[in-house]
Amino acid sequence: MESRVLILNHDPVFEDRLLSFFDSEDGIEIRVVRSVSEAVQVLIAENFDGFIVEGPGSLSIEAATVARQHFPSLKVLCVPWQRLKNDLLEEAERQQITTADGTTSNKRLRRDVMQFVRSLQNHRNVPEEGIDPCHSLIGNLNQFSAAEILQMACLSQRSGRFTLKSSRGKSEIYLHHGSVRHAVYGTLEGEAAVAEIFRWRQGRFYFEEGLISHAHTVDRPWAHLLIDNLQKLDETLDVATVAPKQ
Amino acid sequence: MRDKRLEKKLRLISLQLDSWKRLHDLITYGLDKAKPIISVEQERQFTEVRAHLLQEIEHVFRELDLLAELAGRAMNVLNRGSSLRAVRELSTEDARRIEAEWNAVFTRLGIVQGQLKSDRKILASQNIFEYYIRSLLRKPLRT
Repeated sequence: MESRVLILNHDPVFEDRLLSFFDSEDGIEIRVVRSVSEAVQVLIAENFDGFIVEGPGSLSIEAATVARQHFPSLKVLCVPWQRLKNDLLEEAERQQITTADGTTSNKRLRRDVMQFVRSLQNHRNVPEEGIDPCHSLIGNLNQFSAAEILQMACLSQRSGRFTLKSSRGKSEIYLHHGSVRHAVYGTLEGEAAVAEIFRWRQGRFYFEEGLISHAHTVDRPWAHLLIDNLQKLDETLDVATVAPKQ
Repeated sequence: MRDKRLEKKLRLISLQLDSWKRLHDLITYGLDKAKPIISVEQERQFTEVRAHLLQEIEHVFRELDLLAELAGRAMNVLNRGSSLRAVRELSTEDARRIEAEWNAVFTRLGIVQGQLKSDRKILASQNIFEYYIRSLLRKPLRT
């Protein structure tokens, strides 16, 4: 199966050093976007295994940070075209953004980029589509958003497990007496997983009554989670429509 | 196997087609008979797409051996459509012309993209020996 990589490059026709590495690589599908807003739009609509940002120093770190904050499960590689100052490198590290030196030789840069791409294969979320029709509540995320179905289950004080399956993978949210107790999506757990699931616009879900999780990774009341995540979602949509910085 | 030159051409042509599609979306909006409001954001997007095309067409068309054939038509579209508001104020005749020129560029690029994809498919089924034997026998692909 191919790795899907989204690449942000403000000038992909003339500054194509990194892009050319992919010309001779099999098994990697790339998509190139030119602005952060375009990248966010594409990331909302489609599933990618990784995101590579290349560009001028601080701008590339800024774009990578936006992606990290709005898409917590996404693997991000930042390739600045100039050497970064230490504070920017520390910021990247804090945000769990992998960096590669864009000023280094082609051979070395290629090695770093391909190492990142190969690492994606170990973290890939396998698409999950099948739904068992015997569950009590089944639905489609095209018609009901994750926020709506969770709101309904929490208001009616349900305990059980929501399973959401889409081309992005499988995630589970455990409720206990109308509160979110535990959430898991890939390597993410807790509130980060809930935030990611809120952005899903495609896929299916089902609810299994009575399944309680021993793990307890979410402490906040549902109302707080709902407001915070809807606000984050609004911010993500804002980034997708905002004019890029020149 | 993969051919680097072919992959580069495919990359360039898909970037060009993306920009031409966006330009068309905006031109169509500008020419809408209902005259919907043109926002600052749409005008900015139009300028941005136009700027990308203006700086890239010569380089990309040369790489694709399409410079002589398409540069004039592409420049006609970009000169006539200097802004979304200017597009809206075009006469019926000019609007028809800009659509026709856009269509000529888009169609040719689409055809070349198809040919390149077909070449890629043929190459994918060949191993390196077949590729070099084909080259020695002077039966290269279109690249």
